[in-house]
Amino acid sequence: MRRRLWLELSAFVVLAAVVALLPRFVSDFRARELAIVGMYFIALLGLSILTGFNGQISLGNGAFMAIGGYTTAILSVDGFYGHQVRDLWTIPIAGVVAGIAGLVVGLPALRLSGLYLALITFGIAVSFPQLPKKFDHFFGGTTGKILNLAKPPFGLSTTTNNWIYYLTWGIALVLLVAAWLLVRGKTGRAFKAIRDSEVAAVSSGISIGRYKTLAFGISAFYAGVAGSLYAIANAYVNPDVFPIILSVYLVVGLAVGGLDSLFGMIAGAALIYFLQNHADTVARWLNHLPALSLDPQKPGIPSVVFGIVLIVVMILLPTGVGGLVRRLFGPLTTRLYTRS
Amino acid sequence: MPIAAFTWTEFAQQLAAGIREGAIYAGLALAIVIIYRSTRVINFAQGEMATFTTFIAWSLMNQGLTFWEAFPIVLAIAFTGGVVIERTLIRPVENAPVLTIVIITLGLALLLNGLMNLIWGGANVQFHGPFSTRTIDVGGVPVSVQDIGIVAVSILLVGLLALFFRFTKLGLGMRAAAVNRDSSRLVGVRVSWMFALGWGIATVLGAVAGMMIAPVVFLDPNMMQTILLYAFAAAVLGGLDSPVGAVVGGILLGVTITLLGRYVGFIGSTLKLPAALLLILVLLLVRPGGLFGKVAVRRV
Amino acid sequence: MRVFVVCAAVAVVAAASAGARPVATPGVSSDEIHIGSSVPLSGEAAIAGNVARGIDAYFKYVNDKGGVLGRKLKYTYLDDGYDPGRAVNNTIRLIQQEQVFAVFSSLGTNNNLAVRKLLNDNKVPQLYVSSGATTFGRDYKKYPWTIGYIPPYSEEGEIYGRYVVKNLKKAKIAVLYQNDDYGRDLLAGMKRGLGKKAKSIVASVGYDPTSSDVQPQVTQLKASKANVLMVFAFGKFSLQAFNAVSRLGWKPQIFVNDVSSAASLMAIVPQKAANGSISIVFGKDPASPQWANDKGIKLFQSILRKYGNGTSSRDLKDGYFTAGMATAYTLVNTLKKAGKNLTRQSLMNAATHLTERGNPFVLPGIVIHTTPTSRFPITQVRLQRWSKGAWRTFGPLVSAKPG
Repeated sequence: MRRRLWLELSAFVVLAAVVALLPRFVSDFRARELAIVGMYFIALLGLSILTGFNGQISLGNGAFMAIGGYTTAILSVDGFYGHQVRDLWTIPIAGVVAGIAGLVVGLPALRLSGLYLALITFGIAVSFPQLPKKFDHFFGGTTGKILNLAKPPFGLSTTTNNWIYYLTWGIALVLLVAAWLLVRGKTGRAFKAIRDSEVAAVSSGISIGRYKTLAFGISAFYAGVAGSLYAIANAYVNPDVFPIILSVYLVVGLAVGGLDSLFGMIAGAALIYFLQNHADTVARWLNHLPALSLDPQKPGIPSVVFGIVLIVVMILLPTGVGGLVRRLFGPLTTRLYTRS
Repeated sequence: MPIAAFTWTEFAQQLAAGIREGAIYAGLALAIVIIYRSTRVINFAQGEMATFTTFIAWSLMNQGLTFWEAFPIVLAIAFTGGVVIERTLIRPVENAPVLTIVIITLGLALLLNGLMNLIWGGANVQFHGPFSTRTIDVGGVPVSVQDIGIVAVSILLVGLLALFFRFTKLGLGMRAAAVNRDSSRLVGVRVSWMFALGWGIATVLGAVAGMMIAPVVFLDPNMMQTILLYAFAAAVLGGLDSPVGAVVGGILLGVTITLLGRYVGFIGSTLKLPAALLLILVLLLVRPGGLFGKVAVRRV
Repeated sequence: MRVFVVCAAVAVVAAASAGARPVATPGVSSDEIHIGSSVPLSGEAAIAGNVARGIDAYFKYVNDKGGVLGRKLKYTYLDDGYDPGRAVNNTIRLIQQEQVFAVFSSLGTNNNLAVRKLLNDNKVPQLYVSSGATTFGRDYKKYPWTIGYIPPYSEEGEIYGRYVVKNLKKAKIAVLYQNDDYGRDLLAGMKRGLGKKAKSIVASVGYDPTSSDVQPQVTQLKASKANVLMVFAFGKFSLQAFNAVSRLGWKPQIFVNDVSSAASLMAIVPQKAANGSISIVFGKDPASPQWANDKGIKLFQSILRKYGNGTSSRDLKDGYFTAGMATAYTLVNTLKKAGKNLTRQSLMNAATHLTERGNPFVLPGIVIHTTPTSRFPITQVRLQRWSKGAWRTFGPLVSAKPG
């Protein structure tokens, strides 16, 4: 156990150092790309707590990101009773609003499990984009809301991209530590007990309802913060910015990261960003294979590339990056336990 | 906004449109249920697989074949394709977490969608179905022969499936393999092939659904994407492991959505899907296994 | 404190050197001009990405003929999956990473809205936006670096309204519209065109793009006993509308909006519903027999065969390619007009002082014209009627210029 603790601590220190230094070695635009990876990472941390540690599948966390994004957009564009809120301060509010929405969703989720829960949460992902269209005076309809472009505050002399990068990763590291403390603590033990066996958890006096709802709330809080940052980075929200497929991609990231591996979520986040935005790069790599010549910019090619990579990754790493790491570094018992 | 007043003729037409719509959801929902029954996996590629096979039918018909000549060929290709997909993509991860397999089906959906764009282009094409587009008069309400045909086919399919699962050895074997792999192995069921068989049958069902709906909504690579969402909802409503539930759920959903969208002003076209999903959620809270499904008893 | 002083010193030096030597315009070198777009190549709108492939082929053709005033055109287009968030990311990548000279013909109303402020703040031209939302041509005071291209949707609606007033005295109009800004723009324009006769609209029903079929909406519209049907839809929904009209045995006079009126689409709907339908037109449709022997379409096909990457016979009849070439043609003329000493300012200046005649990919007679206060390049259209499996234009050129 101590060995694991040391491993995780050193991993965190290395991560923090990399995060702090990376912008010096990459272009300004790459910093922005890494920032968006950081946003997916935050959302995936929340999903990992919910699914990886508590065993509840959600195909609707994209909707909580949307709630966060819209909270930020509405507060900073329309304001609260006419007082526009600085984008920075809307981030925690967005998290809380999304978190409350998560608690509300968590209540009916108590009666459902497995794929029924997955499909009902998917229903949330499908339904949420309709609300801004219906209540367009408040949400801005399909036109959406245009935010002010993000600028470094307090007169900091850095680029916008670098500012968003440090803001996102600063928050991500704090939330990573929080998630880590949470899953190691009493709450985390309760989460895991419920995941492994609800009946056993009840008999050892754990209130299933309270903890399952709490897990939903926490995961939605994380998603809300991520969505808020995404809105700030794009300076625009409309229903299409948080499409249905976003919720699905988050689950892709979760599976690639390895369900209950907090650090693994970085890999998941990187993959879902990369495959959406750099399918052309991958197509060019694939063209090095013999007898293959893909036009990277033909309609259809990005989806083909995304699909192939996803299938190959999941077949090679069925338990995700987290599972791989566990097999490489974990104690023998863990290695035997997590076959496949 | 001016809205037409209520008339019984229009109501009957809306009802007919809703039932037809629902029969289409039912077709795809059946395919989802068959894969779920046999492998406990939700197949996100079900829609794209159906569209892909429909495109194959379209190509064959472009080569001069009639619908009924192409039909058995497409079903054979679909069945083989389904089995091959299971053997090559799903089998290697058979023992992995369910989520891993679900993600692979998602990758498959993306791959197939891209391929369709590359092979057949993204534009809508016309698909000549087996039924006449003529309308006949049913008690003063014009109903198209196509609509009646679509509903009849989905009812026929569920009948055939019920017979298959109840009375054939293969069907019983599939059910057994899904319920308990290890015990089934002990009594001599070739479990792994049962899974492949499930994929094959589901792909055939999807192909039929695709060929039924394509004449109505026009064929393009994204034809089934919206319908897949409705089909998921229909499957959940009916109970994920019940074929009868899929059809009843589909038609119920089609009618509910159509009538809500038409007659409840506040809901309209924008909120009809969320409203229907909310109703399903309420139903699930009362019956967590859907209308016809059973909830597995959890063991410690 | 010391850090601050150093920073300030660096800033002063940087400012001084910037003042001394004019900063080269990004994306322009002595032998190259770099242009960028964000378009969907995946997702439900992937087919519209062919606009960019048409542009790409046309630029290669121009390069083979010597380029623009000695400079070759370099073109980078990125996939946004029709997601405005990704369009923002692509646009930032185009400006910062790819260092393009101008962003050109990016596709979609919302995707362009999402990046308008960003481009204007950075003084990067947002040229010939592929969207018919009026705002891109109208709000130039706030967004001087933005200009549209195609006729505004609202003007298109107004033309239909005016046509009804003039020619269909006993019209009772039913409207099927996509329930978003695009459909509502068309609807509002049509009401304006109807003027006092706006009350002849007896029913209007919106559909949501998440619907699987619009038959319920058409059924509802038919029940209103209208004799005119406006189809303000998109893609497959417009096809479904024709299908439903036919299945319900309804026989209204149909008007179908430009975006949904490609000949290749009209040819596959039930013809008893399609016959007599009216639409507007400004680009040449390569699938239309009307242009089978047209010089412009012949040019289009020869360019696409030679410079398109893996052109199929399907591509040669795809209107998205011609639409792309039409804008590319105008952009090349704009660049020529901006002259050898090319800056972003001179480009905007050229784009807002344009008089282009004889664009081979738009209808004969259309003059593409802009001024600094009228930023709608194409404002002339013609009406066309569908009969015997093809569109036939009728009447003179009609103005689609916002009043």
